[in-house]
Amino acid sequence: MSDSKKIGDKELAAISVSVIIFGGLTFHWVAEMISTVELLELAYGTVKLFNNPLVF
Amino acid sequence: MFSTILSQYKATLSVFVVLLVIVVLEFLQVRAAIYPSLLPAFEWLKNSTPLGYIGTTYGSIYATVQAMHLLTMGTLGGLVLATDLRLLGVMFRTTPSEVISNGTHKAFKLTLIAAVLTGIFCAAGVADKVYYMPVFWVKMLALAAGAAFVFLIKQPLLSSKPHSEINPWIIRGMAITSILVWFTVAASGRWIGFS
Repeated sequence: MSDSKKIGDKELAAISVSVIIFGGLTFHWVAEMISTVELLELAYGTVKLFNNPLVF
Repeated sequence: MFSTILSQYKATLSVFVVLLVIVVLEFLQVRAAIYPSLLPAFEWLKNSTPLGYIGTTYGSIYATVQAMHLLTMGTLGGLVLATDLRLLGVMFRTTPSEVISNGTHKAFKLTLIAAVLTGIFCAAGVADKVYYMPVFWVKMLALAAGAAFVFLIKQPLLSSKPHSEINPWIIRGMAITSILVWFTVAASGRWIGFS
């Protein structure tokens, strides 16, 4: 890495905030997916992707 | 020594101070304590303001403003994708990324203002409903985080020097985070409509 590409203050702040926001949002969407699957399993007993869960 | 670090890493230290304040406030359950006191403000917005009156009385005006809100959100998404996909090197490769990021940022500011103004009107009509929706608060949090990220972190770095002098992995990281945060704003908004 050349001297001009050394990580300065703004770069360090940018990568820190990026990691925090990316981690938080990924956690949020994974948690939403898990709770949705659990809700469907509670309601229908099983979750079949590409099948209508209303059809037993 | 300490003052040198303070002066050299102002932005980074500010980020960690803000993060520390958020963690402390969450630990002290300040958010949970404030939440009930916000309900009167939402009820006032719906029942005692012209925005709430128009939003609940004139369906045609509400639909028109909501259409404008969707158009501004679509434009916002287009500007974000144009900027971030260029930063990732996926599209517009023949145009310098500085030109695209500076050009789209001006339109981004105006579009964000229009989206917020039309969004306030849309929320006013159903304020007592959205108050109880967790997904509404997710959208507001993502919107605040996205705006702060763009105006305090991303754009100051991108406009401070030629992009070729910035570590490419930092640029890619910012672009992916930006796409994810604005995707969350858009998806949460549609989830409000679905609820």
